[in-house]
Amino acid sequence: MKKKNIIEMFVEGARKGWSIAINGLMPNVILAFALIKILEVTGAMAFIGDVFAPVMGVFGLPGQAIMVSVTALMSQGGAVGVLASLLTDGGVDAKQATILLPAIFASGGQLQNLGRVLGTSGVQTKYYGLIFGMSIINGIIALTVMSFVVKAL
Amino acid sequence: MNMEEKQKQEVQKEDDKGRFSLAGIITLLLAVVIFSGLMASGKGWSTAFDFVTLSGKFGTMKDATTATFMGAGGSGARAGFLLALSLVPGVMLAMGIVSIVEQTGGLKVAQKLLTPLLRPLMGLPGNVSLALISSLQSTDAGAGMTKDLFDEGLITEKERAIFVQFQFTGCAVINNYLTLGSMVFANILVPISVPLVLVLVLKFFAANVTRFVINKFYTEEA
Repeated sequence: MKKKNIIEMFVEGARKGWSIAINGLMPNVILAFALIKILEVTGAMAFIGDVFAPVMGVFGLPGQAIMVSVTALMSQGGAVGVLASLLTDGGVDAKQATILLPAIFASGGQLQNLGRVLGTSGVQTKYYGLIFGMSIINGIIALTVMSFVVKAL
Repeated sequence: MNMEEKQKQEVQKEDDKGRFSLAGIITLLLAVVIFSGLMASGKGWSTAFDFVTLSGKFGTMKDATTATFMGAGGSGARAGFLLALSLVPGVMLAMGIVSIVEQTGGLKVAQKLLTPLLRPLMGLPGNVSLALISSLQSTDAGAGMTKDLFDEGLITEKERAIFVQFQFTGCAVINNYLTLGSMVFANILVPISVPLVLVLVLKFFAANVTRFVINKFYTEEA
């Protein structure tokens, strides 16, 4: 097999990037934006905002931000999509987005990872609760740390 | 042939039932309403069932000196589409750079540097370093390699649990963050490395909490 030069390496990776962006990112973003639109026109978003304002307020976030956390349980891509959508229509500002972003990656996608990580690795089921719980705790820690970081800016 | 027959039989069985699934009825009705345009003239919540509302609109060039092709004030699927499109160059560039690091052996260097640190950092043997580096890029590759390590007897049950904890929280964070995170990179107020470092630190933190809990409260045998 021929050894690849650096240009071929880059192009190969960039091609993979195209496929990730178009096949992975875009469908998630379209779903998130349509979902947020539904929540907005039905008035559900305002309701969610009121109900969860006290909880999310602890981290300096508006109630609507709970949508990012809930979506994150299912999919990291969906959650960042929801965050981007909230940014677009002013539901969260740049400060709040900065608080939310690390938490999405610290604890996002757990529901699909039950199969993809816990199932595939074959780890014993008695550890599932511990492992799952720690990822939620990590998300909360990430929100807490970032809320202090943003305050100090 | 066998497969075909089986499928035919199954189709037959479905037909014999002659019942409609509830979910099928609901989704069909909703789709008819959404595509019919009946809700377009509605006000408030009912417009959620209108295709044009969900499609939304592209932003417009309100201020030509600062506007990008995404415009401002867009909404719905159309705004999402333009946002996703705006991310393509960044994702391609990032994946191109990662690809060079990967293929020139940059990851092997990282792996070598990491090997002696694994025991003090997480209580894991050095031979998991390759799986660890892989897990930062691909959730599935990391989990698969972990199973292999255990099956070959290179790590114990407890070590597997600690290692899986490390992978489970912040899964494939380097690739996921660089691609998915790029949706909001333009808006965040800290250098883009800050969230990444925080997540990596939290991964080590979670692994160590699990290490502590397992050593204290779990017995080795199942």
